[in-house]
Amino acid sequence: MIFVTNFLTRRGTALLATWRIWRDTLLFAARAILTAATPAAYNSATRTVVMKQIYFTVVQILPGFTLFAALLSYVLIQIVVTTAASYGLSEYALEVSMRLLVLELLPLITALFVALRSSSAINTEIALMKINGELLALENAGVDTMRLEFMPRVIGGMISVLALTAFTSVIALVLAYLAVYGWQTWSLPDFSRIMGNVFQNTVLLGIFLKSLAFGLAVTVIPVAEGMATPRMLFMAPISVLRGMVRLFFLIMLIEVASLAFKYI
Amino acid sequence: MKRPAGSSLIKNLEFKVGALLVSTVLLVVGFVIYTMYARGDFQRTQNLTLIAPKADGVSIGMPMTFSGFPIGAVKRMQLSEDGNVRLEIAIPSKDARWLRENSVFTLEKGFIGGAKIKAHTSNLKDQPLADGASRTLLTGDATEEIPVLLEKLKSILNNIADMTNKESQINQTLANVQDVTHRMTGEYGVLEGVLGGPEKARQVVAVLEKTNALLASLNGVSLKVDAVLAKTDSRLFGPQGVMDQTQESVAKLNAILGDARESLKKADALLANAQAASADLPRITGNVREATADMANLRTEIDDSVRKVNHLINEINKKWPFARDVEIKTP
Repeated sequence: MIFVTNFLTRRGTALLATWRIWRDTLLFAARAILTAATPAAYNSATRTVVMKQIYFTVVQILPGFTLFAALLSYVLIQIVVTTAASYGLSEYALEVSMRLLVLELLPLITALFVALRSSSAINTEIALMKINGELLALENAGVDTMRLEFMPRVIGGMISVLALTAFTSVIALVLAYLAVYGWQTWSLPDFSRIMGNVFQNTVLLGIFLKSLAFGLAVTVIPVAEGMATPRMLFMAPISVLRGMVRLFFLIMLIEVASLAFKYI
Repeated sequence: MKRPAGSSLIKNLEFKVGALLVSTVLLVVGFVIYTMYARGDFQRTQNLTLIAPKADGVSIGMPMTFSGFPIGAVKRMQLSEDGNVRLEIAIPSKDARWLRENSVFTLEKGFIGGAKIKAHTSNLKDQPLADGASRTLLTGDATEEIPVLLEKLKSILNNIADMTNKESQINQTLANVQDVTHRMTGEYGVLEGVLGGPEKARQVVAVLEKTNALLASLNGVSLKVDAVLAKTDSRLFGPQGVMDQTQESVAKLNAILGDARESLKKADALLANAQAASADLPRITGNVREATADMANLRTEIDDSVRKVNHLINEINKKWPFARDVEIKTP
């Protein structure tokens, strides 16, 4: 009986902790967005921090990631085109490539890449700041941590996902055109027609919202998780681990939700 | 991530970030404008309403093709009051010239892939299709025909099975044909095949050979006949021919007949004398003996004449095909 009670108690505590961290995350996301939407929050100090964050999470990785995405896109497009041709469905190859890459794969891969690179770093940094008492010291010194530390990271993350998705998508579309039609411009009207078919306004809005959600997720979760770290050094890796797992689930959840919204 | 102490450590931070933000915004805005252009938001279109009994596989944005090239897209579709589907097609003005008053529109659905709306224009010199025109969409669904086709195919296959049966008539006929063609490969070829055996064929060949011989001899005969006819002709109608002689004979006959008439007159007179003489027979019995001797001479003379005439007539009859019984008899 005691065993059952203990088990239920432990389960309940864990569940409440999970709820709490999700609630904190949502609350933090709301506060970060509110702060980012307030023009008064941007003074020269904030601007410098925001620019630095954008530089670290976007500009630094743009060439390498774009190259990788182009390679991956080209291979996938070739697979789709070849397979479609072997089934006599070449007319659908371009549309399938567009939908596969621009609508689904490239935003997801971008989010995962930014998560692996920046989110883990942010989570560790915030967790260590929290453990070392740095955050508390800053707040005691009257520094608005939200404005100077957290909000710039959220903005950097969102712009990172949006910009990388935009760049890689455009490159993928150019590659798709080249793979299907070759080095000539005569097929541009045909290409445009399929583009018009695929990228309806709702689809464009869907990509934009999905990328925003991804960008929000890859920054909000690590920051919230880092802030929730207990002030013990051995909790730092655990905090990062939890943050990454939750981030992965959230990214997948966003992807599945967008798919369900689109196709169901 | 360990942050650098200040912005001075990053070269051209503002420029790099600014360039990134501007290019991202340009990319996104450009992309949105391009998709709007691609959807045809910037080009003038004209509307065409297609009415179909059903619109399986038709979706918004589906292209309508003309000769395999897309010239318009489905803009809107709705179910009308009478249960038909109304498809509104937007056609860019520059492509509208392919559609004419006589254009026909079909919805085709194959086994694989989506449905296709196709426009067919037989006469491109006809009146252009007016904006907002309404046409019937002809549907041809290949998959709908499959059950009917299968049913027909089944009965055809049954028939074929019956035909290819071992006891079927076709098989028997083929066996007979084989029999005949086998015989045709024999010594007498087709003849043997048709007649049923080498024996009969041989007989036919023999008959033919005989006929050939007969024809050859007939040829000779006809040659001879020709010669005979030629001779007959010359004999009959030539100079000194039968005809000439006959003519002479007839002339002679006339003369002889004249003679005969004279002789008969003399005989008549003689008989009258004889009658008169017989009246006083007893008286003249003495003379009778002389007279009878004369009579006998006369008779011989007449008989001679008559015989000559008969002979002549017979001659004529032989040479002249007049079958008439001409005979002069002495009373």
